[in-house]
Amino acid sequence: MKKNLPRILMIIAVLGLGTLFLFPMWKITLIAPQYPKGVTMHIHINKLGGETPAVIQNINILNHYVGMKYIEEDSIPELKYFPYVVMAMMAMGLLMAAVDKPKLYLGWAILLSLLAMAGLYDFYLWEYDYGHSLSPTAPIKIPGASFQPPLFGSKQIISFTAISLPHIGGYFAGSSILLAGLAWWQKSKLDKNETTDSTSDNSHISSERLHTVA
Amino acid sequence: MKKNIFYILSLAIALFSMACTPNPETANSSATADSSEPVKGQSTVQDDLSAKNILQVALGSPDHTTLVAAVQAADLEDVLVNAGPLTVFAPTNAAFEALPAGTVESLLKPENKATLSKIIKFHASPGKYEGNLLKNGQRLFQASGHYVNVEKDGDKVTVHGANILGTAQASNGVVHIVDKVMLPPEG
Amino acid sequence: MKNHYLFQFIHFIMIATFGLLFLPSCGNQAGQTNTGGALGDDVASQVYVAPGEYDEFYAFMSGGFSGQIGVHGLPSGRLLKVIPVFSTDGEKGYGFSEETKPMLNTSHGFVPWDDAHHPELSQTNGETDGRWIFINGNNTPRIARIDLSVFETVEIIEIPNSGGNHSSPFTTENTEYVVAGTRFGVPYPQKDVAINTYAENFKGMLTYVKVEEDGAMDVAFQILLPAFDYDLAHSGKGNSHGWTFFTTYNTEEKSTLLEVAASQNDKDFIAAVNWKKAEEYIAQGKYQEVPAKYAHNVYDEKTHMATSTMKDKVKVLIPSECPGLVYFLPTPKSPHGVDVDPTGEYIVGNGKLSADLTVHSFTKMKAAIDNQSFETEIAGVPVLKFEEVVAGSVKDAGLGPLHTEFDDKGNAYTSFFITSEVVKWKVGTWEVLDKASTFYSVGHIMIPGGDSKKPQGKYLVALNKITKDRYLPTGPELCHSAQLYDISGDKMKLLLDFPTAGEPHYAQGISADRIVPNVKKFYPIEENEHPYRALGEKDARVERNGNEVHVYMTTIRSHFAPDNIEGIKVGDKVYFHVTNLEQDWDVPHGFAVMGANNAELLIMGGQTETFLWEPKSVGVIPFYCTDFCSALHQEMQGYIRVSPRSSNIALKWGLGEEEVVQ
Repeated sequence: MKKNLPRILMIIAVLGLGTLFLFPMWKITLIAPQYPKGVTMHIHINKLGGETPAVIQNINILNHYVGMKYIEEDSIPELKYFPYVVMAMMAMGLLMAAVDKPKLYLGWAILLSLLAMAGLYDFYLWEYDYGHSLSPTAPIKIPGASFQPPLFGSKQIISFTAISLPHIGGYFAGSSILLAGLAWWQKSKLDKNETTDSTSDNSHISSERLHTVA
Repeated sequence: MKKNIFYILSLAIALFSMACTPNPETANSSATADSSEPVKGQSTVQDDLSAKNILQVALGSPDHTTLVAAVQAADLEDVLVNAGPLTVFAPTNAAFEALPAGTVESLLKPENKATLSKIIKFHASPGKYEGNLLKNGQRLFQASGHYVNVEKDGDKVTVHGANILGTAQASNGVVHIVDKVMLPPEG
Repeated sequence: MKNHYLFQFIHFIMIATFGLLFLPSCGNQAGQTNTGGALGDDVASQVYVAPGEYDEFYAFMSGGFSGQIGVHGLPSGRLLKVIPVFSTDGEKGYGFSEETKPMLNTSHGFVPWDDAHHPELSQTNGETDGRWIFINGNNTPRIARIDLSVFETVEIIEIPNSGGNHSSPFTTENTEYVVAGTRFGVPYPQKDVAINTYAENFKGMLTYVKVEEDGAMDVAFQILLPAFDYDLAHSGKGNSHGWTFFTTYNTEEKSTLLEVAASQNDKDFIAAVNWKKAEEYIAQGKYQEVPAKYAHNVYDEKTHMATSTMKDKVKVLIPSECPGLVYFLPTPKSPHGVDVDPTGEYIVGNGKLSADLTVHSFTKMKAAIDNQSFETEIAGVPVLKFEEVVAGSVKDAGLGPLHTEFDDKGNAYTSFFITSEVVKWKVGTWEVLDKASTFYSVGHIMIPGGDSKKPQGKYLVALNKITKDRYLPTGPELCHSAQLYDISGDKMKLLLDFPTAGEPHYAQGISADRIVPNVKKFYPIEENEHPYRALGEKDARVERNGNEVHVYMTTIRSHFAPDNIEGIKVGDKVYFHVTNLEQDWDVPHGFAVMGANNAELLIMGGQTETFLWEPKSVGVIPFYCTDFCSALHQEMQGYIRVSPRSSNIALKWGLGEEEVVQ
């Protein structure tokens, strides 16, 4: 059991990453007097959505008064290739679970962290773009104002309060990094024990038992 | 003006004392049953321009002061201003005086309100009956739940033994002035 | 006038003494908190619904001669919506848009008005369920169904062989049927006869309209009866489920000066109809199928269009051929309302010319039928003996009883028109418990669920015919009113006066939680199946077919697409099919064209509505959005260029700078 723990952790990490295809990874909520409960936009790995199907349309209607660009899936190429990046990471994770080497776990965790940071930076760039590239013919012009939503947390944008937070998929993907890190730590510990412990046959037997139980 | 003062005073005393009482037993007096509202209804509407209703016709007649007092004692003012249509047989003061001595005084006492009310309702029919609509041998259904018989001989019309002396039009019906107080059968 | 003042003085003494009697109780209770008595309570707080809070109940008030339904909240009395039903409503384009015109079609053609009297909520197991509300059209006999997920009229069926559908719609326990009964006797079949042949040529028809699971209505059968005036109805419940009771007046069968002529009989009848028996006779084929022309109009929520179908026959049951179908229960003095208590045992006849209420017992009625205790028979209908069916009477309660509703504690409440009051009495003992004045001349009363098996109690609404000095005057025509009473205690307590739309006859109330969860916020645009829909601005276009022009237009904050149209010619029939692309709560757009002989359109999110415009002279005509939709609402406008008939200006339309040319 103990011997397989890192593998299991890694597989869970891969599954956690897979939830990105099931749940949104991020959400932005706009709260205003006419939307007391807020309008919540969902960002998936491969698409945009919302609590109700019409959320993107409603946000676009609000945004167009100040000249913001329409938020459209087709204009965001990341939604096309990010799924492949995630799938590649999942495949890599499984491969690493098969090979079961501590350094590979660590490497995967670091790679995923870097990708997440890159993703967040990309997200920030898009937010900056939406918030600053305003149409010169906007019906409402507020000199010097930007409509960039926050990267994380809450921000007042004219009459709206915008709240940006990870969603289910985001939390799971984040915990995948931790799980891979945990796998690395456990595997390193096991390997250390193995070198000091002469009765490696026992662990072999226990792993066989595990297989019969499974 | 005088009327208002009486009402304000009496209401003030009645309401003041009721305010101290958790469950005022007011159902026995319809005048005070609805304690959160003025006790009078439609009869208190101020309107001098419209055609006169039955109550206003009666109030305007010097020959019907006893009837008016009786109607007020029985709390039936609001009924006589209702959309109706109603036919009211209105006994004159003389008709009331013809009753045995003390009868009117006794009827005006609060404890006899139910009897008084029944007697007054015996003088009113739902519907507007006048002229050709009053036929010899006809039975009229009265608001008291009883029937009265109409006898007609030429122009002379008698209802339950009372002669119709004259007729006044009202906005919500008709008033036939009669020379006798009609008493409903017992029960 | 001396006596008058003398009387005032007596009255003063009387009331004052009455009050003084209670003075000692003050001392006794000096240490206690004063919780009782109307004056001790804060009436205002009982009807105060704080800004942003919801009312506890919906109240649906018939609009009477407005033909509509007013939706109010209780206890605040706030008016939430007027639902157009039988009358055109320029505010919403109802009866003006091409989609809704068929709703008002009848066998007499387009009838833009009616007199709507009795709203009735659908029921399941005798409880209001919040699915639909039905209402009768009194003048041109009809029944309408309103869908309470959208608060819109979705179906109207005309009632054949009738004249004045008053005793309607009054549902059965599981909304198996809604009923109709003719308030006027009419020749059967309609023909050219002398009016004074009323007794021989005229008939009275009762009608059962089947309501399917999805709400769809159809005339199931009619019952041919003497030409009495069928006034009101209520169906049985519990034990009496399977029966409907209809009051009658004018059993004298007169046709002129009814105010006198129809008040002669000591007793009129309550007609008790065994509709389960009727179903058996229909199944056995014991009916006559007769020609009858009546319209059936259905609004489709997917196509956003109404269609009108003309039906041509109806099944009629003749009581003399169908024993056990109908019985007459003699009931004193022109009974108006007939109301069945929550247990289904007691049938209250509100004899409007009487001072008393007559209550019949369903058990006794069944026994009288079993024992064949018949007084006589009229047109094949046995008349039961009065003494055999009467359970009791409420004596001397007031004058002019009209309607009775019930609470959840075994009490009944009856309105008295002439004495302007509501009287509370105990079902079973017939004892009068309380009286409350109304201001003035109360007609119907309503307790939420008060005519169902499970009244919700708490409030009673009195619907008054006359207001006189109760509100700021508005010229000769004054508002009608509703008055709200708290009936949770032993005594009724007047809480609130509020004006209503039109003339409220009956009303229905229901706790908000039975409706709110199902209410739609907009129509999903992907479900829009309107043949002329434009599901996005890319679909916006103009097409010509001879002199007919179809504009596929869209609206979204804050523009029309297209908003500049050229190539329209004088004499064209221009159909604007406007699709509101909004998928957000509370963002309708309006559409109005200068000089159009029409009303506006008011288009809900996801809906398509059509506006017909026939330009009569050349020029450039503006159109605009009429509902303040957004900050740039005032910019939401456009132009149509109208050229002479002979012009060869090409059809051209656009939005913004990129104009599409055909």
